Amino acid sequence: MENENLLKLKNAALKDIEEANSVDSLNAVRNTYLSKKSELSSLTSQIGQLPPEDRKAFGAALTEVRVAITSAIEEKMTYLKNKELEEKLEKEQIDISLPGISFEPGGRDPFYVIQDEMIEIFLGMGFEVADGPEVEKDLYNFELLNIPKDHPARDMQDTFYINDNELLRTHTSPVQARTMEAKKGAPIRIICPGKTYRRDDDDATHSHQFAQIEGLVIDKGINIGHLKATLELFAKKMFGEKREIRLRSSYFPFTEPSVEVDITCANCGGKGCNMCKGTGYIEILGAGMVHPNVLKMNGYDPEEYSGFAFGVGIDRMAVLRYGIDDIRKLYTNDVRFLNQFKKMS
Amino acid sequence: MLVSLKNISQYVSLEGLTPEDIANKLTFAGVEVEEISRLASGTNLVIGEVKECVAHPNSDHLHVLQVNLGEKYGTTQIVCGAPNARAGLKVIVARVGAKLPQIEIKDGVIRGEASHGMCCSLLELGVDGKYLSDYQKAGIEELPADAPVGEEDVLGYLGLDDVVLNLSVLANRPDLLSVFNVAREIGALYERKVNLPEVNAKEDFKTKLVVGSKTKRCTQFSGKEIKGIVTKASPKWMSDYLMAMGVRSINNIVDIGNYVMLMTGQPLHMYDADKLAKAELYAQDDYDGDFVALDEKTYKVIPGDIVICCNNKPMCLGGVMGSLECAVDENTKNIYIEAASFDGASIRHTSNRLGLSSESSQRFVKGTNHFQSEFVLNYAASLINELCDAKENSNNVHYQSEKPREDRIKTSIKKINDRLGTEFSKDEIANVLTRLNFKLEFVNDNEFYAEVPLYRLDVTCDADLSEEVIRLLGLEHVKSILPCLDTKVGMLSLKQKRLKNIRSYLLSQGLDECLTYSLVSKKKQNDFNLLNNEEHYVILNPLTDEREVFRTHILASLLGAASYNVARQNKNLALFETSNMISKQSRSEHLAIVLVGQDARQGLLVKENYNFFHMKGLVEGIFTILGIEPTRYRFDRFVDANHELHPGKAANIVFQNKKIGVLGELHPNQIEKYDLGKTNAVVLEMDLEALLDAKVSETKMAPISKFPSVSRDLAFVLDAKIAAGDLVRAVKKVGGSYVVGCEVFDIYQGANIAEGKKSMAISVTYRKEDGTLTEKEVSDAEEKIKFELSRNFKAEIRS
Repeated sequence: MENENLLKLKNAALKDIEEANSVDSLNAVRNTYLSKKSELSSLTSQIGQLPPEDRKAFGAALTEVRVAITSAIEEKMTYLKNKELEEKLEKEQIDISLPGISFEPGGRDPFYVIQDEMIEIFLGMGFEVADGPEVEKDLYNFELLNIPKDHPARDMQDTFYINDNELLRTHTSPVQARTMEAKKGAPIRIICPGKTYRRDDDDATHSHQFAQIEGLVIDKGINIGHLKATLELFAKKMFGEKREIRLRSSYFPFTEPSVEVDITCANCGGKGCNMCKGTGYIEILGAGMVHPNVLKMNGYDPEEYSGFAFGVGIDRMAVLRYGIDDIRKLYTNDVRFLNQFKKMS
Repeated sequence: MLVSLKNISQYVSLEGLTPEDIANKLTFAGVEVEEISRLASGTNLVIGEVKECVAHPNSDHLHVLQVNLGEKYGTTQIVCGAPNARAGLKVIVARVGAKLPQIEIKDGVIRGEASHGMCCSLLELGVDGKYLSDYQKAGIEELPADAPVGEEDVLGYLGLDDVVLNLSVLANRPDLLSVFNVAREIGALYERKVNLPEVNAKEDFKTKLVVGSKTKRCTQFSGKEIKGIVTKASPKWMSDYLMAMGVRSINNIVDIGNYVMLMTGQPLHMYDADKLAKAELYAQDDYDGDFVALDEKTYKVIPGDIVICCNNKPMCLGGVMGSLECAVDENTKNIYIEAASFDGASIRHTSNRLGLSSESSQRFVKGTNHFQSEFVLNYAASLINELCDAKENSNNVHYQSEKPREDRIKTSIKKINDRLGTEFSKDEIANVLTRLNFKLEFVNDNEFYAEVPLYRLDVTCDADLSEEVIRLLGLEHVKSILPCLDTKVGMLSLKQKRLKNIRSYLLSQGLDECLTYSLVSKKKQNDFNLLNNEEHYVILNPLTDEREVFRTHILASLLGAASYNVARQNKNLALFETSNMISKQSRSEHLAIVLVGQDARQGLLVKENYNFFHMKGLVEGIFTILGIEPTRYRFDRFVDANHELHPGKAANIVFQNKKIGVLGELHPNQIEKYDLGKTNAVVLEMDLEALLDAKVSETKMAPISKFPSVSRDLAFVLDAKIAAGDLVRAVKKVGGSYVVGCEVFDIYQGANIAEGKKSMAISVTYRKEDGTLTEKEVSDAEEKIKFELSRNFKAEIRS
């Protein structure tokens, strides 16, 4: 008899739980069936009135009903809470098309992009980075590089002078002499990036200020083949694996033999186009074997040591790589220009 | 240097070589050909004769011509629009398939009449209009009546088949400023025989001319006397040739001087012998006074200038210009020819100072062959005899104070290959050097002596010989092998790494990295010179006053970049630049930052204007990434006498008790001056040197406390002028070791707070490293803080 009532009670509770559709209504159901004033509670309090032999069985039945109702409520509660949270989150939907909140990294003048990248390439080959002053002595800029006073090669580089002995360096090559002086006859493997100046009027292809990276390797048994391989590696890293280089004879007072280095045109891949004036190649740098006089003047015995040197125009690299049509753009700092160069390589 | 291939081909055969071949070969051998220019060009050309000329039935200006092209091509019909087309005319015909500079000729029908070619004007063959008359330009070219019909080498017939190469002669090869030497070079490149003119000296009398030099600046002076010349215009071949080489034809005698210089590289000077007081010419460098030159202008000559004197009077500014007094003119009968060698540096100084630069001065500056005057004088005389109807030639007289270089270069096959990274054989190397006129003497199979030809001024050591070998045999023979050197870690120095880190940090904070010029105007150098009063370098020979000072700070330049951007509607800016500064006293790496307008953080609807604290945050960030503790630096109030910064919003950065930087908001007047718009700007200039060199201790992990911390707030009112930083420092000091943090979280001035006072609230965090703090321990510490605040900061504690 009691068991039948209990079963009814359980079923009624389970039905109410089933029908509850909100956390609030489910709490009401819980109140109805499990609170102190509920039927279940009053039945529990009546256990004492039963005959002792029935108490255990009835107690167990009551517990079973309570557990069933409780766990059904728990289960339903979890379900309802999740559902309500989902509904709430659904309403919180944002417009994901709005811009993100973060600092964009800054843009870089391509000069720095190229400079940093070139440094990295040569560091990987075991080079060190040297530097020297931009206001330089005539001695380092010219004399120790086999360009004595009144040498015709001085006319190749129109120079800004401070006085008879000081000038704005016209190339990064004085760092060659300075490094040889500092290394006192020991092997050398350096690059030197830096700003350089020549007395040129600024236009689309000339700039009174520009920048170079100088390279110098001095050791025993160095030859042009080493220069060629080093520059080949550099050209491929800088402009892509498909690029080839070729050397042409040229003249610089501080190297002998001297070469100009051309790279296959990135635009046409060497077939010939407007950019390379139909030649398939573009001139990228000057280089050569360090002149024995330069070695001698700077304390190295040319019979024992030999070396190669090269000078790359950073501006020229930037112009070639990014198709910059006017070199002055590198010095104008228009943020619409700078912000095109954010990619980190 | 311009060279005519037709001219060159007189001395070395160019058979089978296209101008492009030759240009390419020269370029790879280090003699860059900058331009190949043709006087005219065209294929499928033939000389024809107009047999019949009738008006085109369907046109008011066209004619239908029947043109005889000779036996091979017969007679063909051509429709022609030229007004001068007529029967009997000999014409240049471009046959079907002809490629002219502008067009290609196709078979066609013009208004119903077939046309199998085109009659050409010289303009259509590419001849520059400046060489043509208006009549020639208006119609087809009218060939002489005796022009051979059927001739297919039309350009050759017209003398328009020449090609001119423009050589860029580098400073090491002044010998190539001579056609003869260019011929030698081409001969060597192609292994072809070179035949230079041979001249037989003609000596009719002994001259009384005495030549000499009283200066080391002239080591060689040769002369010759020629009698009975007639001055007149040069023959056409001479004036045409000079014109093609860009030299103006004057008269036969002057032209010969120029011609001989172009051929041999040796500048000549001619004196009217009858105008000289004495038969003597001496080079001197001690003359001080006026000199009236050929151009009738008076020049001031100073000691050091090389002058050629007769009777101690200057007759010629050596290598630069002759005097008016003894100039050759139409009445000249007898001349002295000078062939001398002058010191290039002196000529350079003189010609630069006087603004007189010429083909001959440039040759002296670059270097001439000092040992060819005998040949040059005889060669000049032979031309003078031929073109100036000279009667008598004298012997040559010479002054020479130096001897030809006798020391030969000793080297070896191995040494050359070692330098080049090649494996050329003895035969290959010997062959190349012999082609270049080096005389070789082998000691054994490896070592040899090389005697350098006198005109090769650039070859002085064995490295030079290796260059000769590789430029002729080709750099493609060099094997590309990475050098096998000691393994080394290529690394930036600590200083370089720190600079790179600072730049990366600023980029990551969204600042754009700029590059501005080092040369600035005096004014710009004076603006925002916030850090130092060191002396800047001034350029002796600036191009403009905008670029005459080597700057010692970046800020003014960077503000210039900011105002450029603001003028282009880029109003919110965060710019920085690092650059090496150099003054007469020192060299150091600087950093400048300019923040303009609003914080560039994207997407925030409410944007904040940049203020002092944005900049201060960046500076603190730099110290943090370098590992420099906040206790090692401080910000002091900056007092600006120049009103460049906001008087209340600027600070010095002090590191190790030295001012290393200044930051602050821009003074409103400066915002206006730099056209930055109605906005605000914050700037920084900082000398990074001390930071890049700073000693920083290694980071050692500090144990993380296991015990809980307690935070207590304190609010108080105090004098408005008291700096929060000082107060926080004091709190940390008096609070003892339990105080692990102190932050200001509120500052208020205004209603309910007395004038000149502010209310401040701080949150102090306490913790014990070795246990949980007791209530008493916290209260004791807090009491000490309260006592300090009321005693030393006169703070009125509110809670």
